[in-house]
Amino acid sequence: MAVRSTVLLSLAAAFAPLAQAQTTPSSAPVTSSSKSDAPIPNPPRNLIVPDRGKLLLTGGFSDVDGAGGGGLVPWALITGYGTEDSYGFNGHYTQVNLREFELRTYGVGIGIADRVEISAARHDFEVTGAALEGLEVSQDIFGLKVRVAGDAVYGQDTWLPQLALGAEFKRHRGIGNAGELTSPRQLGATDEDGVDLYLSGTKVFLAQSLLLNVTLRHTKANQFGLLGYGGDVNDSGKFNLETTVGYMLTRKLALGGEYRQKPRSLGVDDEGDAWDLFVAWAPNRHVSVVAAYVNLGSILGPATTVDRDQTGSYLSVQFGY
Amino acid sequence: MKPITLMRSLFAACLLAASLGWATQAQAEETLFAQIGGEPKLRASVDKLVEIMLVDERINFTFADTDIDKFKSLLYDQLCELTGGPCKYLGRDMIESHKKLNTTNEQFNALAEDLYKAFDEVGVPYRVQNRVMALLAPMQPQVVDKIPAKE
Ligand code: HEM
Repeated sequence: MAVRSTVLLSLAAAFAPLAQAQTTPSSAPVTSSSKSDAPIPNPPRNLIVPDRGKLLLTGGFSDVDGAGGGGLVPWALITGYGTEDSYGFNGHYTQVNLREFELRTYGVGIGIADRVEISAARHDFEVTGAALEGLEVSQDIFGLKVRVAGDAVYGQDTWLPQLALGAEFKRHRGIGNAGELTSPRQLGATDEDGVDLYLSGTKVFLAQSLLLNVTLRHTKANQFGLLGYGGDVNDSGKFNLETTVGYMLTRKLALGGEYRQKPRSLGVDDEGDAWDLFVAWAPNRHVSVVAAYVNLGSILGPATTVDRDQTGSYLSVQFGY
Repeated sequence: MKPITLMRSLFAACLLAASLGWATQAQAEETLFAQIGGEPKLRASVDKLVEIMLVDERINFTFADTDIDKFKSLLYDQLCELTGGPCKYLGRDMIESHKKLNTTNEQFNALAEDLYKAFDEVGVPYRVQNRVMALLAPMQPQVVDKIPAKE
């Protein structure tokens, strides 16, 4: 379709004077017979305005790293409600309150032509209890995702899920309020910055009202990157498995669970895998909310002397267009 | 993704569906047509859909020329046959009947959304609605991109 091929260009030429999706309707008079084969043109559309054309829930949410996905896991779906003919963007804020820690993440994402997703997010992590109370860690995450095959929703007649390749570039912003401790390198991490690569497969099994996602991630990130990359235990990175299972209760409401392996590369950190149980609600195409019970596993157990799973609440709000 | 992983994923999904108590097994004897509520419910749903879509500005203008009664009866026949009911669809195929439209994905999804809403109003359960949608979703390439159905 002309629309599809022009959408990327038009976006690149962003805000060029109101590009139109269709050429002006032909002036042929509309005949009153349904037998007429005269084309019915769509009204001219301004390509700069997102079409908000996807079905509810299929725009996904913003995961903990800012990518389109569930809570802990990125999906193969491209973020936002723009279809192949358009684009969509959103911003999110997520608050995770754990027993001895707190994580705030916020960011923005854009999905273009249901093909490419670009996201940027910030993690602000704080120790709220235990030995290192007050310690703060922060990092930036830039995400890129490209859908490479399949369609999670339309492909109901095939086994092929929607597949996407993604990369997350993480830049550490240092450790604060911890005296001498300012870099994850002091804890044994090899690098402060790192890159995660992942392949996600997502499929909506409409007949069962289920969404299934499996993500294979290559990562060196210690605790999502908050404690740097690589370490004394493992320095080559690992292939980790992540999964989401969601059941759609209504057109706007889903519940489910997620699991995300973590690499465990630092000797001083008995890093545990993470999981959650979530409720996701998309009342319309502008707002969505994910609330979850989350378990991020043990975080810096030995160092903080609190060697227990970090469980707590996860609340994420996304606004989009 | 390797086929084996896929199979496993699918298997997991089926297991989950079963454990949640919505095993397709239990419904195997009853056609989807019957689960919708047979002819009365399906006709009511089509009527409702047409009512909703004709005020939906994303798509209503495409029906300006259409003989609505004929459209209703053809759509009914199509849905009835698709869902295993006692009907035969004798209308044009999906490419032929939509070729004069420059259908967008937004419009395709708008019609799907209107059908969801119609089913809601008529009282067809959501999980049954989704089973109907599972049959319609693969028509997207034909209706939107005019790509012939694979055999
Ligand atoms: C899976 C989705 C769809 C199904 C199952 C479907 C089904 C049908 C059927 C059975 C007919 C009658 C065919 C005939 O006249 O022989 C028809 C015609 C028509 N459909 Fe669809 N349709 C779909 C999507 C759409 C969409 C997205 C639009 C508009 C945006 C649309 C607009 C029309 C129009 C305007 C006609 C009448 C054409 C004419 O009067 O010549 N349809 N459709």
